[in-house]
Parts: sequence; C-alpha cells; structure tokens
Amino acid sequence: MKLPKSTIRDTGTQQKIILLLFAIIIGLFIIGELISPGFSSFKHFKDVVRTVSFVGVSAVGQTLVILTGGIDLTIGSLITMGQIFGCLFVKGDDANLLWAFLSILVLGGIFGIISGVGVSYLKISPLVMTLAVSSLVDGVTLLVINGAPKGVASPILEKLGAGMTWGLPTMMWIWIGISIITIVFLRKTIIGRQIYYVGTNVTAAKFSGIKINKVRVLVYVLSGICSALTGLLLAGNTSRAFLDIGKEYTMWTITAVVIGGTSMAGGSGGYLGTAAGAFIIITLEGLLTVVNIPEAGRKIAMGLIILIMIMIYYRRDRR
Amino acid sequence: MFERRRNLLIYLPVYIVAVSIYLIAGILQPRFLSWNNNVNLFTRIVPLLLAGIAQMFVLLTGGIDLSVGSVIGLTNVVAALLPFVDTGWNIVLWLIIPPMIGLAIGLCNGFIISRWEFPPFIVTLATNTVWSGFALLIMDVPGGKISMNLYRAITGKLFSLIPVPLILIMAIISITYLILRHTVFGRSIYALGGNKNIARESGIRVERIEVATYAMSGLFASFAGMYLSVIMISGDPLVGEPYVMNSIAVAVIGGVALSGGRGGVQGILGAAYIFYLIDNILNLLGVSTFYQYVAKGLIIILALAITSREKGLPLRIKAK
Repeated sequence: MKLPKSTIRDTGTQQKIILLLFAIIIGLFIIGELISPGFSSFKHFKDVVRTVSFVGVSAVGQTLVILTGGIDLTIGSLITMGQIFGCLFVKGDDANLLWAFLSILVLGGIFGIISGVGVSYLKISPLVMTLAVSSLVDGVTLLVINGAPKGVASPILEKLGAGMTWGLPTMMWIWIGISIITIVFLRKTIIGRQIYYVGTNVTAAKFSGIKINKVRVLVYVLSGICSALTGLLLAGNTSRAFLDIGKEYTMWTITAVVIGGTSMAGGSGGYLGTAAGAFIIITLEGLLTVVNIPEAGRKIAMGLIILIMIMIYYRRDRR
Repeated sequence: MFERRRNLLIYLPVYIVAVSIYLIAGILQPRFLSWNNNVNLFTRIVPLLLAGIAQMFVLLTGGIDLSVGSVIGLTNVVAALLPFVDTGWNIVLWLIIPPMIGLAIGLCNGFIISRWEFPPFIVTLATNTVWSGFALLIMDVPGGKISMNLYRAITGKLFSLIPVPLILIMAIISITYLILRHTVFGRSIYALGGNKNIARESGIRVERIEVATYAMSGLFASFAGMYLSVIMISGDPLVGEPYVMNSIAVAVIGGVALSGGRGGVQGILGAAYIFYLIDNILNLLGVSTFYQYVAKGLIIILALAITSREKGLPLRIKAK
C-alpha cells in the first residue's frame, strides 16, 4: 500500500486530535438534544455507551494491527463466531461459562495465528489474507451450527453483556478496563513500543533486533482474541444467537481507527483516539436514526465525516 | 527478454493453479467439462474480470480503490432505471450515461488523492460509503428493467457458435493489454508504480497519470455494473458490495503487487477463473454451502501463498 507523505507524528498533534475528538462527541450530544429532546438523557447515554463498548473492545485489535501497518478484515466474522459459539457452548448454564470463554478465546487466537503467519512469514498482503481467513471463519461457524444458530446465553453472561454495575452498563467497565490495559501496553511495555517501530520502519526495526514476524503474528492473535471476546459478550447482550451480527463491525473498527487519527501506514496513533472514534461513529449513527434519516443518508453522512477528518489530519506536505 | 522471463514467472503460477483445479474438477465430475457449463462460466466471470482490471490500474501505481463496489452498485441501478426502449437515442444514452458516472467518480477520487496526497485507502473507503448511499437513495430495493433484446444479445451466440461473453472477455483482455503495454499512458503507470520520484524526474506527469488510473478504474467498474444489470435484467443497489474485496483478491492472485509496478491483465483472467471455478465445482459436486465457505477460504489462501508473495519472486529485489 502507498505510504502517505504526511503522517501524524509528534505527541503535541496527537493530543490536539484527541481534544478535537472529544469536542466533537460533546457537540454531537448537544446537537442531538436540540433536535430531539431526550437524546442526551442519562438513559439514552447508557444505551449509546453500551454499543460503543462493544465496538471499542473489538477496535483494540484493529488499532494494534493497523499500528504495524496491516489491516484486519476478520473482525466481523470472528465476532459472529464468538457470539454464535457463545450461545452454543454456554447453553444457558453458568457452569459452562468458563469453558466456553476459554475455548472461544483460543479459537479467536488460532484464527489470528493463521492471519499472522500468512502476513508475516508467507508475505501475503494483509488485506487479502485476512479477507480469505474471514471466509474461512464464516465457513467454520456455519459448519459447526449446521446453518441454524442454537443455544442461549447464561445469567452471568447476560449480566456482563446487558446488565448494570454501579449505575452504568457493566460492558462499559469491561471496556474501560481493557482500554487502560491497551494504553499502558502500547506506551509502557517493550512489545508495545516494538509494535510502533515495526509500523514506522520495517527495515530499521529489523536491524535494531526486533523480531518483526513475531510482533506481526502477535498483533493478529491479540486482535483475534479481542474480536472473539466481543462476540461472546454480545451473546450476553442479545441472549440468543444471530447470523451476521458482526457484519458491521469490520467497517466500524476501521472507521473508528481512521477517525481516531491512527495512520493507516502504521507507526503513529494510539488507542485513545480509536476509543473516541468509536464513540463518534456510534453517536452519529444514533443521531441520524433519531431524525429518521434512511440508511442511504446515514451512509452518505458517514462517508463525508471520514473525508472531512482526512482533510483535517493529512494536510498537504509543505516542502 | 529479461522482462518476458520475469512475466512468465509472475503469470505461470496462476494458470498452473487454474488448470489443475479445472482438471481435478473434470476428473471428479465429467459434467463439469461440458460446453454448456463452460459457456456458463464465461458469462459469470465477466463482471469480476472487469472489476479486477479496474482495481489493477490503481494497484499498479501503488494506490488502491475501494470505491469499485459502489461504482458497480450505482451504475447498475442507473442502467436499470434508464428508459429501456432499445432503439435510436435511447440505446446510445444507455451506453453513455453509466460510463460517464463511473468516469466522474474515478476522476473525483483521483483528484482528491493526488492533489492533496491523501492516503487512497481511506479516501476511497469514504467515497465508497458515500456513493453506495447514493445508490440506495436512487433505488432502495432491487428493481428496474432492462431491455430483453440487450439480454439476448449479451447471453447469445455470435453466428450461433461463439458465445458473446467469450468475445467480450477477449476484447476486454486485448484492449487492456494494448493500453498497458503499447501506450505511453500504460508504460507511465508501470514507471510510476516502480518509483514515483524517478518517474517524476524522467518527465512523467505523475499527478495526471495517477488521476487517469482512478478514472480508468471508475470506467471499468461501471462496465461491470452495466453488464450485471443486463444479465440480472434488473438493478440492485447492493450488488457491488462483494466486489470491493473480491476485485483486490483477484488482482493479487493474478500477480499484481499491492506495492505497485508489478503485474498485468494476463494474470487477472486466470485469477477470476479460479474464483468461479471453485464455486462452480463445489456446486456441481453437491458440496453443502457451509463446506463451500471453508473450501473457498482455504483454496484462496493456498492460491495466494503460491502466486502472490508481496515482495514478488526472488528474481527482483525491491526496497520496501
């Protein structure tokens, strides 16, 4: 893929971007309240936050992968898999939950390994490799359930996905926890820094002794695990399994990362921006739904928003 | 001569994979080799071939075009809504309006990308969303009509012998080959994909060529949209969705490097063939849909591993 000439590098700009993003979120809620009273009510806010949390958890993986200069298109399929297998394995009984949790995460990790090995060791372009793996995941999911989703979520899982803790959605606390871990991981740990180096300059990273292929496999594995976890938690939210529930998530996570100011070429950006990006897209979707704009209008608006964000982020390189 | 040998190394693996799948299928299910089944295959690969070529123009310069899908959707809808009386000016309008839309969208993408040096992936991702929104705006549920004469003309046989889609495939391949290999524009595309700075130094108008490749992409995608509207005899705003990623997959399996400068139309026919061969065989063998997904994923990964190392074959060392 073509490397853009101008990328966002210094932390000063990064902080400005995040301030801008949070200003946009607040702006959206104010506009929402003006158009349709009750939009910014605490009740509706809780609904928005819950949906954002699901997107946010899966976007952790997308952020890590994009930071290394790759892209992960398996997220949607893995979320569907996690959600369907969640219901299938748990069968409405809390006793099965731990076992289901572990096996779904391991499955997500295995598909991550397949994508990662293809991208790093076989040198297949991430776009096509993860596309092929997502077809594989869809197939495996349909094969196991034989085309018809079965099973239901258990009480604990439902509490995690749809319940409340301390007056706010439990899902939000899970998301906050995962966000903090991700931000600390990216900023403070050696592997976290190595992810940035691989994205910035592969050759330089190689010569400074970073095991590039291992870092690349790792980010796909982490992404697979995040998506599978999102799927399992979504099972708690919906209680029953649906086909295609994760379909939108691949695009949502990419859009969240892009709006969050992470460079598609890799090497710059971070999770805080992505989290804000996820907030913006879900709030905007909600806002457009409230004012009864059909799907066509929502798509046009979403595309224009991305274009405007690019205009802000990638100003022409002044030479 | 060197170039020829290198080309052979790029395109040979695709055709080895395609021919072996074809032969295995023939052994497993002799019905597969029948003339009718092959004509059916020709009819079905045309849109994917066109979408793959659209994508190829942009990939060769090191860009990417995710708006292929929405251009197909939009032109498909427009083609199905235009007056379907196929006489005189009506048919001329039908033949001109959708390609103009594709061309305009492509020019618009190319302008945004080359004027401000924005990353093509995100720009076309955004424009894809916008134009698919417009397609839904024009037609929210599948509908519209296409003249039956057009349908008969496209699916018919020339001199009641040669199927028209086969002629279309030959024409598309040879025109694209001529553009790429024997025009200044085509050679400039490769120069640009090889090294943008050197291309600029040697007097190529880099920005113009870049815009032109996106325009070509829009144009070929609109042909795919029109073709689809004819063989479905109606329009569907969502018909283009799978083509976004499939066009990239086809180009990459066909030997086009995502980093630019390597590949050509020769491999894309083979790759599009592989795509539909897989579907076709699995259907003829009566494999259940669920296994088809798995098999398709596995075969594509395998084909990718054989044909499309991002760095190319070890013959050519290219700095990342």
